[in-house]
Amino acid sequence: MRRKFWPRGLAARTALVLLIGLAVVQTAGLVIHGLDRLDVLRAGQAKDMTERVVGVYRTVVLTPAPQREALLAEFGRGADLSAEMSQGPPVGDLAEMPAQMQRTYLIHAREVPLGVSQGRWRALLLYGSPELHRVLFAFHLPDGHWLHVSVLPTPPRPWHGPFFMTAFILMTVAAAGLSLWAVRRLIAPVRALAAAAEALGRDVNAPPLPEGGPTEVAKAAAAFNQMAARIRRFVADRTELLTAIGHDLRTPITRLKLRAEFMEDEEQRAKMLNDLEELETMVSATLAFGRDARSTEPVVQLDLAELLRTILDEAGDTRPEVVDKLAYEGPQHMTLRARALNMKRALTNLVTNAVNYGGSARIRLHEPAGGTVRIEITDEGQGIPPGELDRVFEPFHRGDQSRNKETGGVGLGLPIARNILRAHGGDVVLTNQPGGGVKATVTLPI
Amino acid sequence: MDPLPHILVVDDDREIRDLLARFLEQHRLRVTTARDGKETRRAWDNGNYQLVVLDLMLPGESGLDIARWLRSQSNVPIVMLTAMGDETDRIIGLELGADDYLPKPFNPRELLARIRAVLRRAGEQPDHRREEPVDGYSFAGWKVEVARRRLLNEDGVEVMLTGGEFDLLVALLERANRVLTRDMLLDLLRGRQAGPYDRAIDVAVSRLRRKLEDDGRNSQLIKTVRGGGYVLATQVERV
Repeated sequence: MRRKFWPRGLAARTALVLLIGLAVVQTAGLVIHGLDRLDVLRAGQAKDMTERVVGVYRTVVLTPAPQREALLAEFGRGADLSAEMSQGPPVGDLAEMPAQMQRTYLIHAREVPLGVSQGRWRALLLYGSPELHRVLFAFHLPDGHWLHVSVLPTPPRPWHGPFFMTAFILMTVAAAGLSLWAVRRLIAPVRALAAAAEALGRDVNAPPLPEGGPTEVAKAAAAFNQMAARIRRFVADRTELLTAIGHDLRTPITRLKLRAEFMEDEEQRAKMLNDLEELETMVSATLAFGRDARSTEPVVQLDLAELLRTILDEAGDTRPEVVDKLAYEGPQHMTLRARALNMKRALTNLVTNAVNYGGSARIRLHEPAGGTVRIEITDEGQGIPPGELDRVFEPFHRGDQSRNKETGGVGLGLPIARNILRAHGGDVVLTNQPGGGVKATVTLPI
Repeated sequence: MDPLPHILVVDDDREIRDLLARFLEQHRLRVTTARDGKETRRAWDNGNYQLVVLDLMLPGESGLDIARWLRSQSNVPIVMLTAMGDETDRIIGLELGADDYLPKPFNPRELLARIRAVLRRAGEQPDHRREEPVDGYSFAGWKVEVARRRLLNEDGVEVMLTGGEFDLLVALLERANRVLTRDMLLDLLRGRQAGPYDRAIDVAVSRLRRKLEDDGRNSQLIKTVRGGGYVLATQVERV
């Protein structure tokens, strides 16, 4: 709960930290700038105010006493400034101005030239302050009268300026944009590494990572590529071994088949040929499995719809008893780029599997969507125990021993199919259908 | 009485040579064996062979080299034994002009059937080999690549054919505009198609029509001939 707003991605986290930092720095900058400007503004305001007020004083001093009231009435019309004559210093709620501030005002007041001799005030008392939004100047005139001038200073607006806010926002946005861009760039190698690891999992012959960029990234990429090369070598060694055994078995199997022809006992001969057939199936499956990794077949344009129907035709020829349970649904034609024989083998394996274990095969070819075409091959069998769903793709894995014996599976059909489909940039997934039976979903880029 | 057809078997494994010779001799064929290129040439000079069974996977001089040499000598039919499902070998072999191929390990009876079929075809056409080997055909917008066993439509998209369908199509193309009886076609498809033979041809033809987009009711390309046969009725170009 505490981490509700803590994003999961490294890029998002780094960006968030950077943006929070940026916000703090910008806020602090704004405050410092504001306080600084406030001082400047206040000083200017004090000077302006004092000069205006002293101007009023000067006019009053130069005016004969009887006409002063009328004159002041004129001043009283100003919005932020009012003046009145009085017999004594002001009495009221306004407190005296702090001494330090008073000095500033008095210095300004003294600097204003009066232009008349004998006109200098006997005393100048100050009340209020700009913070209280009211300043009261009380002049003791040379003739003994008092002049009270009250000013309502406008509150200073330190962040107000024609360009200030625009510039500030632009700067912030630019900094935020740059940080996000930098984060994305820095994180990119991590993403590339994750993508490469994913690709390696699907296809050991995936292209290597580029070993460029900053030292650490280059090192990680090099280490990854080395690891991939080691895995490749390991897989290649194993495949080579399998292929070599497969090749070497061909001569003895051929000999045995020839020898069987000279056997007197018909029954024994038939049994022996059956065994040899089984052995040959295993060898050819093993060889096919070994060959996929280094497929040299060229990529051609291929009519996928026709290929699927051909596969069903052939399945029907080999197992005439299931002909009624083979069906194709989908467009009449669909062109796809693929290695024709490999693709045929992969899809044939899936159909054969459906026929052998599910007693039927219904193919549905969907119209391409989003650059991907989907093929569903369903059967009406028992389905696969959920725990086995992924294991059936392991080489030499056999689901149910007893059933396998009967159908003569080697446990390579599905791995071969998946290898081929992945080498085409696609994949195959098996799922149990709610109504029973297995659904193989093939996806291929188109 | 015809003399027995003389077959030259080239394989590097002595046991296979001996067993194969015994087996084929049992089935009324005369057999000479050779172990490698050298022995093949010597045997060739000393005999008159109607057919050569050639293993492509020989140590030293390869089967393909021997096939090339044989072709330079004569048009003798060649049945190749290839690595299982090895496309490259098969394609090169067929391009060199082999007449048939069989993946190893082969079924001896199937080999015998293939040998008989090739001999029969060679017998039908005394000069069974055309002056120029045909790489492919084009007809009605379709293209056929013989060695690669591919059918391509107008856009160059491959339409997958089964082995039997392809053989049937090539048979029709070779004898375009001539009626082929079911029996002749059956002979061509022997060993390829499972199921009852009499139906196999009709099934293969109907599938071929579907793939050639040749409407079954109103077929323009592969026409049914009353009295049991088919004819490919279109202009065929050899390329």
